[in-house]
Amino acid sequence: MAAFLECGPFSARDGEGRVLFDGVSVSLEAEQCVVIEGPSGGGKSTLLRHVTALAHSPDAIRRLDGEGYQGVMLPVWRSRVSLVAQDAPMIDGTVHENLSLPFSQRAGRDTKLDDVRAASLMTRVGLEKMPFEREVRTLSGGERHRLALVRGLLWDPPVLVADEPLSGLDPDIAIVCFELLLTFSRRPEKLLLCVLHDPAMNSRADRRLRLANGRLGEGA
Amino acid sequence: MSDFIELGIPQLAVATLLIIAAGVVSLALRLGVERRLGIAALRTVIQLGLLGLILEQVFALESAWLVAGLLILMTVFAAREAVTRASRGYRGILVDAWLTMAATCFVVGGMVTQVVVGVEPWYDPQYVIPLLGMILGNSLTGISLCLDRFMDHLVVRSAEVELRIAFGATRREALAAPLRDAVRTGMIPIINSMAAAGVVSLPGMMTGQILAGSPPLQAVAYQVVVMFMIAAAVAMGAMLVVVLAGRHFMGPDATLRLDRLTAKKS
Repeated sequence: MAAFLECGPFSARDGEGRVLFDGVSVSLEAEQCVVIEGPSGGGKSTLLRHVTALAHSPDAIRRLDGEGYQGVMLPVWRSRVSLVAQDAPMIDGTVHENLSLPFSQRAGRDTKLDDVRAASLMTRVGLEKMPFEREVRTLSGGERHRLALVRGLLWDPPVLVADEPLSGLDPDIAIVCFELLLTFSRRPEKLLLCVLHDPAMNSRADRRLRLANGRLGEGA
Repeated sequence: MSDFIELGIPQLAVATLLIIAAGVVSLALRLGVERRLGIAALRTVIQLGLLGLILEQVFALESAWLVAGLLILMTVFAAREAVTRASRGYRGILVDAWLTMAATCFVVGGMVTQVVVGVEPWYDPQYVIPLLGMILGNSLTGISLCLDRFMDHLVVRSAEVELRIAFGATRREALAAPLRDAVRTGMIPIINSMAAAGVVSLPGMMTGQILAGSPPLQAVAYQVVVMFMIAAAVAMGAMLVVVLAGRHFMGPDATLRLDRLTAKKS
């Protein structure tokens, strides 16, 4: 049986021209939480950017649930294999504008932001007191990370790719957020691929991959 | 229009006393700029003198080809200058700048000279060359500001641009915010100078016309046409140039290609 998500081969170099990885392919099953481990600076973030088609990789093949995506279809791929990026980037504007950003684009024209679910998720991650009209530039780092995570979960793509989504969070809040991610990944036709920095959380993943010395292999 | 006082060699010689006076100030206060002042004054005389000679010839020959050729040459120089002023670049930036200059000149300049002023014959150099020159001089400022801001936005706010892309933005959606930001920046100088016209500054062209003996209201009418023309040229040019530039940094697959930026050799 073909895998749910298949993409690659990917190759990348770092800023100094050293090879980060070469000819790496990713093949993952649905209904799983998959983590990528490996030394820092080893290219984990770069690999996630290749999987989500943010990095230029013209020779790569991308298949989701048996369907291929390339060229002008890459925006559709990204709307289905969506990245919650490191450092929780935000657009200038309010909390609500940021939560509804994916729905305001063409890729989201058939869906609508569910305000009730948004409020309930915000409560779960400890942002219940944050008004939707608040300007995001006034948020703290931890608040931004939680908001970025909530935005990804509300968008609810088939594949959620998250790059250190829990960094800068209090341990008890981080656990709550991790549980939300796990719940997402165990639903039918869903898949979570992420980089985390907590060994205890990594050990709860369904599958652990390790990116080191330019190769992606099965981890511990 | 002959009711203006002609300047000849004696008059210019007297005016030279003024630049010598400036030199004396530099010497007396040991500013050390007298050499640069002299060279700059010489360049003014030579460059403007050459321009005057060329224009005299072009006016005398009344050749459509000559005027057209001169206009194309002017767009090339304007494009080069616009690209030189931008602090970043990419392969093909000169072609984009030139296409933009040529297109805005053709549309806006064509409309002003042929429809508004109604020049007869269509290439009459007395009208066509100064008007187009003013469009170029001003849209060059707008276009270089706009290009600069566009590339700057892509670099400095790449996380925001990629945030939209990460959720499936098309090229148009991903570039909408940088484009708006860039065009707005490019248009600010002309908006400011329209707002200040006549109150803070006496526009150079109007001053020139009045000196040449035009009735002030006629000079005002021309100045208004010129201001509107420049505003249209800057708006059009700014929009066009970022659309062209955007294609270099993002293909139809909407991948942001900052690797295509080239650092400016300074």
